[in-house]
Amino acid sequence: MTTKRQKNVWRSKINDIIRGACGGFLFGIPLLYTMEVWWIGSLVKPQLMIMAIAFMFIVVYLLNQIEGFRKRRDSWLAPQATMDTVEAIAIGLACCAFVLLLLRELTPETSLKESLGKIIFESVPFALGVALANQLLGDTRNGDAEAQAIDPVNSTTKNKGDDLHATFADVSGTLIGATMIAFNIAPTDEIPMLAAAASPPWQLAMIATSLLISYGIVFQAGFSDQQKRKQQKGLFQRPSSETIMSYLVSLLASAFMLWFFQKLTFSDPWTMWLDHTLMLGLPATIGGAAGRLAI
Amino acid sequence: MTKTEQAKRSIAEWVTFSIASLILAIIVSLVGYTWLNEKNQPPIVSVTKKQTIREINGQFYVPFEVVNSGGDTAESVQIMAELLINGKVTETGEQQIDFLSSGETEEGAFIFSQNPRQGQLNLRVGSYKLP
Repeated sequence: MTTKRQKNVWRSKINDIIRGACGGFLFGIPLLYTMEVWWIGSLVKPQLMIMAIAFMFIVVYLLNQIEGFRKRRDSWLAPQATMDTVEAIAIGLACCAFVLLLLRELTPETSLKESLGKIIFESVPFALGVALANQLLGDTRNGDAEAQAIDPVNSTTKNKGDDLHATFADVSGTLIGATMIAFNIAPTDEIPMLAAAASPPWQLAMIATSLLISYGIVFQAGFSDQQKRKQQKGLFQRPSSETIMSYLVSLLASAFMLWFFQKLTFSDPWTMWLDHTLMLGLPATIGGAAGRLAI
Repeated sequence: MTKTEQAKRSIAEWVTFSIASLILAIIVSLVGYTWLNEKNQPPIVSVTKKQTIREINGQFYVPFEVVNSGGDTAESVQIMAELLINGKVTETGEQQIDFLSSGETEEGAFIFSQNPRQGQLNLRVGSYKLP
């Protein structure tokens, strides 16, 4: 009994962290794909870095006072908010460092000062996203009990037409979300720049990360409609197949966006289509996952 | 919530909190370290050509390396190459590096249509600006 309880405590804690990270990705990914922020990071003086951390701490602390990334029921105490703030900033720093490594903006050759500047400046919006995690997509987990009470009735009345409808709704939700984010990033110069730096092993890592984050947002993070999603009917019912389906839809959306903005033309070699699309695929999948939650 | 659950919860909380504060402390101390070790020194940019000159389809590729050994970051570093054959400038090349921070190395290549080994090849850094 005790071990089971202990497990639950750890699981809820890990879920808190994953939820925070997903909120951060939703909020921070457009800036992670902005080269001006990388440059500012490379140029910035250490004094300013300290100021950025302090500023980030104050803003995230204030956000946590209102509503934190964890589902806290007990206290509104200042120490709790401070702990949440430190965790939010640490999640932001860790995830930004990871994505910057993935995008080859941080390499072993990058000097220490430059890497610190890049990580710290990118993690400011990220930490805000972590703190906002619950508010971003609303929280209806308290309604779980009601939902579960109602659902058996629903699922028995569901027929094949509903399945198709649900699949269609899923695909269009993904398309809308992916297009929203891809629209912001596709016309910029970052995609060709990043694609030029990515060798095939990094592209594979990019695919794996996109799938993981997408899965994390929709199925693990316990955002608003998570309970509903697990019971969602459709042709792609299983979490893994739905994640892969949505990744493919997001890739299609990003390829279309790149073509729309003339970053890719039909005379370009297929390798260029592939690496550009994979680069834009990461933000697009994150948008797509958020889009599926929103419907 | 029972008492044991609260205690367990706080264990989980404390472990993640201490990992999180460790990450934050490492970052802050690294920033402090770079602050203390900051060289208040203008950029010192130098360019060197590498020994191997490749010849492909009648073009000669001369690889070069630029290093900033000074303290500050240089922006728009301009590198110029001149190929003198029989004392006359026959070909020139130019290249610009967007950012070169302290200790950073960037590589590139100049391309000539005449063999640089037959004449004298001068590489130099033309200019940079401070960001």
